[in-house]
Amino acid sequence: MKRQVPLVLCFVFGIAMIFTQFSPHSFSQGIYEEVIRWALIIGPFALVLATVTLIQTHTARIRRRTEHWQYSFVVFAGLIVMVLIGIFLKPQNPMFEWLYNNVQLPMDATMFSLLAFFIASAAYRAFRARTFEASLLLITALIVMMGNVPVGDLLSNDTASKARQWILDNPNLSARRGIILGVSLGVISQSIRIILGIERSYLGGGD
Amino acid sequence: MLKTIQWMAVCLVLCLSVGTAFSQGLSPPSNVTAVDTPNDDGSSITITWDAAAEESGISGYQILRRIAGGELETIGDLLPVGTTAYVDSSIEQGTSYAYIVRAVSETEATVDSEQTAPVEGNDEWFHTGKIPLFITMLLFSAAIVWNIYDARSGKELFVRRIPGLEAVDEAIGRATEMGRSILYSTGLGGVSGVATIASMTILGQVARRTADYETSLRVPCRDPIVLNVVREMVKTAYLEEGRPDAYNEDDIFFLTESQFAYAAGVEGMMLREKPAAIFLQGTFYAESLILAETGNSVGAIQIAGTDSEHQLPFFIAACDYTLIGEELYAASAYLSREPMLLGSLRGQDWGKLLIFAAIVLGVVLELSGISWITTLLQRVR
Repeated sequence: MKRQVPLVLCFVFGIAMIFTQFSPHSFSQGIYEEVIRWALIIGPFALVLATVTLIQTHTARIRRRTEHWQYSFVVFAGLIVMVLIGIFLKPQNPMFEWLYNNVQLPMDATMFSLLAFFIASAAYRAFRARTFEASLLLITALIVMMGNVPVGDLLSNDTASKARQWILDNPNLSARRGIILGVSLGVISQSIRIILGIERSYLGGGD
Repeated sequence: MLKTIQWMAVCLVLCLSVGTAFSQGLSPPSNVTAVDTPNDDGSSITITWDAAAEESGISGYQILRRIAGGELETIGDLLPVGTTAYVDSSIEQGTSYAYIVRAVSETEATVDSEQTAPVEGNDEWFHTGKIPLFITMLLFSAAIVWNIYDARSGKELFVRRIPGLEAVDEAIGRATEMGRSILYSTGLGGVSGVATIASMTILGQVARRTADYETSLRVPCRDPIVLNVVREMVKTAYLEEGRPDAYNEDDIFFLTESQFAYAAGVEGMMLREKPAAIFLQGTFYAESLILAETGNSVGAIQIAGTDSEHQLPFFIAACDYTLIGEELYAASAYLSREPMLLGSLRGQDWGKLLIFAAIVLGVVLELSGISWITTLLQRVR
């Protein structure tokens, strides 16, 4: 029973959701919007559970004095401050916004900016011309890079940017479309397996 | 006094004459039709008319509508000259509307078209523009279902080797030998993402093996719902392998919902715990390379898989093995070797064959000057 009910629900809602994609009728669109709303309702309950696990994890880290356990206090400080301000002063409060704009956003931006260095190190490894494929990649990358910088066009009389565009519009786009087609078929196949109850590992595995 | 009145009368006649002269240059919009917008939920009516000639002096159009027996009301802003259609989305279902298209000149002289017949907005049950898509979906689904049930007969199915999935055992074995943990990230996708479900399926298979080998499996989650499903899946996998004692709920935990905070958290785990094997499976965005490069720097064997085609080059550059696109969805069948799941892979291949044939046929027809397939594809909405 514990396994059958979710499978039946999955089948019924799976078929209904497919139907809503082909029917513009207000009844079917109403069903679609209603189900999306139900999914949104589940979120906050799961978030409470997630917050509890976060607290448990960091409490355990502090108790066991694992490596860098002191940072767990920072997690608690951030959590408590934001929750208290959010509850008592409301999220529209300038202080709440200030903390978000001046603490979280700069930290996010810092992490994002690190990407430039990671790209450099990954590119160094990927472009080492050890094999034929790697050499091909290196040459292609050089053309694309030259096509992206003004000096490339200056030196090659606009040939670099034309070559770059050709690479992006032809071999690159073809490969991407091939991947997208494969992914789309994979998604349909996986969805059918789930709707028909053949793929049930998401229910916790087993039969 | 009489002269003044005479003068005013003359001026009025002159003004009216000039106005009429200008408006005489304006011709009313022709062929005005109002129809219920096809393939919608009955919330709009489409009004169309013929384009005016360039020298007509029209500077724009105004749409007016009338509910049966009611007053004319202006809807929307002045439409620029050249417009030949307007969708009125401010209607109520069950009410009839008649429309007039008013041509407006640069001198603000106006001329109205004839009033259209009253029309109502009706919602349709089936989107006729999606018929080709619907038929394709039915054909493809039928192929998959047929192959799934055909596979039950026990026929041996050939599945090409996927190195990334072959390496799963190697990665887990390596972690076991080194006495280090395995880090598994399901990415940033929510539980409704098919890639996340595929990732969780692979995780289930990985958990069975870690239960066997008694290797620590660490799963930082970004989505609270994914966290709960993953806990349930891993717990069941350990139970089924007869090792419920080895299951540690604390190893599967919520990190944060913020994208880069998640990246920082997982990166920190990699640097502190130095896992021997790292699985990055699911939906990833800009953080993909941050995670993969950090994993590479700690010397872990990395198996990545994603359907985000923009992130694939990063994974290919930084990871040992990468499941490209559809391979991610084939993983559960490949790892479990369950005949019905393998059957669905063959159905998938039939779909690819169908698309390949359509591409070849389309190219040949297009080169021969026949645009049937191109036109058909352009009509699909």
